[in-house]
Amino acid sequence: MSVPIRARAAVALGGSAVIGVAAFCWPLFVPAGGVSVEAPWLFALLLPLVLAVALAEISSGGMDAKAVAMLGVLSALGAAIRPLGAGTAGIETVFFLLVLGGRVFGPGFGFVLGNTMLFASALLTGGIGPWLPYQMLASSWVGLGAGLLPAMRGRVELVVLAGYSAVASVVYGLLLNLSFWPFALSAGSTSVSYVPGAPLGDNLVRLVGFSLATSLGWDVGRAVTTVVLVLVTGPVLLRTLRRAARKAAFTGSGLG
Amino acid sequence: MIRFEDVSFTYPGASGPALSGVDLEVPEGELCLVVGRTGAGKSTLLRAVNGLVPHFSGGVLGGRVLVDGRDTRTNPPRELADVVGLVGQDPQAGFVTDSVEEELAYSMESLGLPNPVMRKRVEETLDLLGLADLRHRPLATLSGGQQQRVAVGAALTAHPKVLVLDEPTSALDPGAAEDVLAALHRLVHDLGMTVLIAEHRLERVAQYADRVVWLSSDGTVVAGDPGSVLASAPVAPPVVRLGQLAGWEPVPVSIRDARRRAGELRSSLGSPASVAPPVGAEVMRAADVRVRYGSVEAVRGVSLAVGAGERVALMGRNGSGKSSLLWALQGSGKRSGGEVLVEGVDPASLKPGPRRRAVGLVPQQPGDLLYLHTVGEECRQADRESGREAGTCRALLDRLAPGVPDDRHPRDLSEGQRLALVLAVALTPSPKVVLLDEPTRGLDYPAKTRLAEALAELGHAVVLATHDVEFVAEYATRVVVLADGEVVADGSTGEVVTASPTFSPQVAKVLAPLPWLTVGDVARALAAR
Amino acid sequence: MSGAVHPGAWWLWALGLAVVASRATNPVVLGLVVAVAGFVAVTCRQDTPWADSYDMFFKFGLAVLGIRVLFHVLLGGVDGPTVLLDLPEVPLPDWARGIRLGGPLTAEGLVFALCQGLQLATLLCCVGAANALANAKRLLRSLPAALYEVSVAVVVAMTVAPQLVASARSVRRARALRGDVVRGVRAVKLLLVPVLEGAFERSLVLAAAMDSRGYGRHAGLPTRTRVLTGFLVLGGLVGLCVGAYALLDGGSAGVPVLVVGAVPAAAGLWTGSRRVRRSRYRPDTWGTREALVVGSGLIAAVTAVLGPDLVMPTVPLTAPDLPLLPALGLLCALAPVLIADRKKP
Repeated sequence: MSVPIRARAAVALGGSAVIGVAAFCWPLFVPAGGVSVEAPWLFALLLPLVLAVALAEISSGGMDAKAVAMLGVLSALGAAIRPLGAGTAGIETVFFLLVLGGRVFGPGFGFVLGNTMLFASALLTGGIGPWLPYQMLASSWVGLGAGLLPAMRGRVELVVLAGYSAVASVVYGLLLNLSFWPFALSAGSTSVSYVPGAPLGDNLVRLVGFSLATSLGWDVGRAVTTVVLVLVTGPVLLRTLRRAARKAAFTGSGLG
Repeated sequence: MIRFEDVSFTYPGASGPALSGVDLEVPEGELCLVVGRTGAGKSTLLRAVNGLVPHFSGGVLGGRVLVDGRDTRTNPPRELADVVGLVGQDPQAGFVTDSVEEELAYSMESLGLPNPVMRKRVEETLDLLGLADLRHRPLATLSGGQQQRVAVGAALTAHPKVLVLDEPTSALDPGAAEDVLAALHRLVHDLGMTVLIAEHRLERVAQYADRVVWLSSDGTVVAGDPGSVLASAPVAPPVVRLGQLAGWEPVPVSIRDARRRAGELRSSLGSPASVAPPVGAEVMRAADVRVRYGSVEAVRGVSLAVGAGERVALMGRNGSGKSSLLWALQGSGKRSGGEVLVEGVDPASLKPGPRRRAVGLVPQQPGDLLYLHTVGEECRQADRESGREAGTCRALLDRLAPGVPDDRHPRDLSEGQRLALVLAVALTPSPKVVLLDEPTRGLDYPAKTRLAEALAELGHAVVLATHDVEFVAEYATRVVVLADGEVVADGSTGEVVTASPTFSPQVAKVLAPLPWLTVGDVARALAAR
Repeated sequence: MSGAVHPGAWWLWALGLAVVASRATNPVVLGLVVAVAGFVAVTCRQDTPWADSYDMFFKFGLAVLGIRVLFHVLLGGVDGPTVLLDLPEVPLPDWARGIRLGGPLTAEGLVFALCQGLQLATLLCCVGAANALANAKRLLRSLPAALYEVSVAVVVAMTVAPQLVASARSVRRARALRGDVVRGVRAVKLLLVPVLEGAFERSLVLAAAMDSRGYGRHAGLPTRTRVLTGFLVLGGLVGLCVGAYALLDGGSAGVPVLVVGAVPAAAGLWTGSRRVRRSRYRPDTWGTREALVVGSGLIAAVTAVLGPDLVMPTVPLTAPDLPLLPALGLLCALAPVLIADRKKP
């Protein structure tokens, strides 16, 4: 059921993470001379390739029918409930599934789930665009991270998951703002645009200013809804997911 | 073609084997029917043919299963995909893609067949199963019968030598079931395919079988000629029971064989005494009920009055508006026009709590009603929400299906047990009227008889929507036939079902023109003689 | 189905238009791009669930334009000599140095913000046109075979999503039968559990069906190909990492190294695809029409790159002109109207 990560896939994941971080964060580090106009576009074009390579490496390690079916069903669930929250001030109904799914089925599953869930949702709603690879990469990190949390059970687990969801939601929001920032406001065009070569702190302040002005309400809303959903549905869902995982490990049904 | 050699199988964590000492040989070009009680391991036997048992399910397999000379121990299901086609119980749940053509091509894509071959086979299969007009349709928009035919087609395109089907007709109306069975009959006779079917509705399939395998509850099998095996099995279609009753040898399996022998029985029986069943005071009255979804009118002006203790069967094709009518009568579903009164009160005007005390409904997927983690919790919750004393629901459950353990997860119950639980939950507030949507799906004959007896004993007024003509003949006092959302026939069971061959039970077909309906009636008449 | 143009061709065509938009702030040119994308999208879209995407993205673009202008008004930025309005400036704490809230609003700055917002809106329109024109499901079918498992998961998701919505509806109705009015946070729990349990059972049934139908019959790669794939993939990723570093370091080597890194990564994807032994039923093929559609977009992009500067002059403010070559190039991008199937009335 789980999606194993072999050594080579781990290296590919690491490589994709480095490139991903560069693709997200370049406006913070860009030198005074600036980069060529093509740089942001180049990153937007390369990111799908990097994602594809990472996913191909993971799936070449073996994904059985049960894992694929479970991925499909969880992604469908995410895609089906995502429109419920869309448009209503930052109510984000996907993250808790991602966190719980990654938690129960492990980091490899979480990484792939982040990708398939966002991709399926974009396909269903006609929302494919240059932002999609950024969203997919960031959400797959959320799923991966949930799978890497240390083993624990009961109340502690729930609290840790809720805390993780809050942090992950805010970081996800910041990362996506960061990816959109240079496109929305070109360098130096407003006082909250990035300034090439400026000290990291200054650019961070501008980023926070940009976030405050644009999406902070959404980011906070996302964090709050995710934490609430994890706390409310967590006990039941973890039980249900683990039951499904157990059943898939050795199916007890099918008598009849 | 298929050979089981001393096969036994135990599920992981199970206390006893699901199959034990099974020796079975199904030669090429035969249609073999697997029968047995619910939970006897029919699905296990079928899934052992393509290796899902044990590769997918886990568990311990003893002996060996050979399909076309290949051992399932060394060949997992995917490697047997070119030899065995498997069609599961719920075709919709097994669809990988979402359009007819792509679904038909999926197996071939997995086998890596070249494109021209795939094109040719898809066309052939579309023609063979009469699906050509549907080729570009999304699967979700197809009716149950069409979906079932697509599922059969999707298994066929890989040109397997063996086709395995798990309850292919249980969800279908009689007409759609005929279509599917006719297609299977053609595969066996024209293409020499070996077909293995498990089915509860034996009255539909037994006549096509070349061989019957009876799987008893301890996991052993008896295989042989349909008539003789069915006669000794606890599950048998009415025609076989009638044959046994009349002492016909060999026991007939088809209506045609039975009719040839029935002349003597007909003349000795004479017509049944027609007794109008007593109808109590009217408890529910519906007048001119309409249900409209967008531009589609599912129910168009149905009027229906139900008396206390009356048992009304709603029949009609899939999509004729039966479910919509039930939901509208209950008051939770949509009602676009007309009036429903239960003892003078419109249930739609009540809050959900009091409403369920007026009218209870068991939906088509009874599992939807259950959400707690054990049977015991569900029963206690039902007592609480009905305002009944503790133990009411449990007592009802014990009456409907004795011996369901309290700590079992509702999803792990058998179909019959789950239905019993949901029925008990619905009956806990003792509603005036109970509505049942397809209650006999997945139930074997003894379970259906038990359901019919328990319902008759409890004495509620019941309206049930069903395709199961044998159950209707045995249980209902009145039949209402819907077509296109309108009532086209309404009368006592005897009158309505004998008037049309699609709704006729087997006994009526054998003894026509005499209006006998069930083996029980005939037996009582013979005994009284 | 067979009559439709390959979805990849539509995306490349839209990419051509996006290249024009990314180089232009001239409102006349941008307006022309929006018009071309919109006209082609409306004329050539097929009867799919995504057909209305262009309208959606167009409205979204307008909103983005508005927000961009609002940003300028509140947060300032590029200035000029013509002050239209002098807003009071809000003092900010010391750590927020560099951010200006309020202050003078100039005509030049306003035009600049408008043009930038328009550029962003135009890019969104290009994406919207691609979404409306390209059949997303067929795009999914064109993914490389190395991503087979992932693409099956997405196909399954798209098949199952509507079923889940239906199942949630029936569970909700069933809850009412137990005398419950399901509302609020409790609803999440009460609805979610039965829907999820059902969904997981369904996933097992589906997995069994996929297994029985030959999912996962892998050829397995010969060791040499496997090693080669690993070498290409990891080498490519290292190249990309180095390229990203070089780019951020300000060196001119960044872009070429990135491109050089992308080639082996893509090649690794291709050799890795051979691990999946399966064929495609009615694969989408590239033909003359696809080449023409892509070509028309390419012409627009090339003329914009080779042609004159498409930047809107703001200091001093002058009326934008219409450069001839890019305009002609954009008119070429209308060619799909003649090539592709039109929507049946």
